[in-house]
Amino acid sequence: MKTEDLLRALAEDATPAIGPAAMLARTLPVALAVSGAGMWLTLGPRADLGHAMTSLVPLLRHVLTLALFAISMLLAWRFLRPEGRAPLWPLAIPVLAAGTLLIWGLFSTPPDGWQMALQGKTQMVCLISIPLLSVPPVTALLLAFRQGAATNPTLAGGLAGLAGGGLGAAIYALHCIEDSPIFYVTWYGVAIAIVTAVSTLIGSRFLRW
Amino acid sequence: MTGPDEDWAGLLKAGMSGDARAYRAFLAAISPVIRGIVRVRGRALGDAQCEDVVQDVLLAIHTKRHTWRQDAPLRPWLYAITRHKVVDAFRARGSRIDLPVEDFDDLLQAPAEADPTERSDMDKLIGMLDERSAGIVRMIGLEGNSAAEAGAQLGMTEGAVRVALHRALKALAVLRERHVE
Repeated sequence: MKTEDLLRALAEDATPAIGPAAMLARTLPVALAVSGAGMWLTLGPRADLGHAMTSLVPLLRHVLTLALFAISMLLAWRFLRPEGRAPLWPLAIPVLAAGTLLIWGLFSTPPDGWQMALQGKTQMVCLISIPLLSVPPVTALLLAFRQGAATNPTLAGGLAGLAGGGLGAAIYALHCIEDSPIFYVTWYGVAIAIVTAVSTLIGSRFLRW
Repeated sequence: MTGPDEDWAGLLKAGMSGDARAYRAFLAAISPVIRGIVRVRGRALGDAQCEDVVQDVLLAIHTKRHTWRQDAPLRPWLYAITRHKVVDAFRARGSRIDLPVEDFDDLLQAPAEADPTERSDMDKLIGMLDERSAGIVRMIGLEGNSAAEAGAQLGMTEGAVRVALHRALKALAVLRERHVE
């Protein structure tokens, strides 16, 4: 087939493709509903949710994870355009904030209580639930990102993992009763890192074009 | 050098709002430029294989055209796609190339070169589609039928032909990506 012939076929195809934003508008609400319902029906929200959502240290779990989601999405959106470039340092904001909070947690807990605070009561549930609750949002994001044109699919996959992992953790935090930053910064962090590693790997293939 | 950018952007914009003639003109206008870039960079491959790369790039531009923001300048977008696909295509054909985006303005000065001989890579890919899709792509591309004419021959509505063509081109882009690995 000559290039001339290819152009003729391309020009006849006037069907507009679905952009990443349109795809996200379809997939993300479904993903949030699935993860939200999954958490609500299996784990259930914590009994004192009202209290947890109005006191600072427990609430910071939502603030940090949703900030991670927001920043990752803003960056990813730039990288979804082929000519898009963006500095990655904004990702350090939630990470440094979490680190600061962890250090504050260590200072405000007597050293012989660190071990107990770190282990908490729900470490395994946390490490299993956050990745599971992140599967729907990460899937939604990867499907949307695939409609873009990321020239660095690995990076785009990683950002999908951070954003989706942030959402999964934020949903899990509605259930989680661990209010010590020593616990949640550590284990939420590990869980989100696992999600990000997997999503990076998937993205490096799935987001190629 | 705002001339080509504005011309091309105008054509692509019109094309994206449904003006097939303008879109065809856009593709025809950028093809020689892409060919020039690929030829200058890929001398080792020979003209025929270079044309396969040109077709890769054009197919990618087509399937990703919605990622151009109509209020943004066209050329950086176009070059970024070209660069990405050219590097990919050369890597897949076993030769690495270095293609700094800063060079593009110089490369554009390269004389536009004509479409060389018939290429076979795309034919192979089309052969991997299901029979009906392959038939539609050939009828429209090779035989120059419109979607309506192809539909009349196949007993399909024009709309169904358009949907099938759209899917076929998307499938080609995916096949190309796999084939290239």
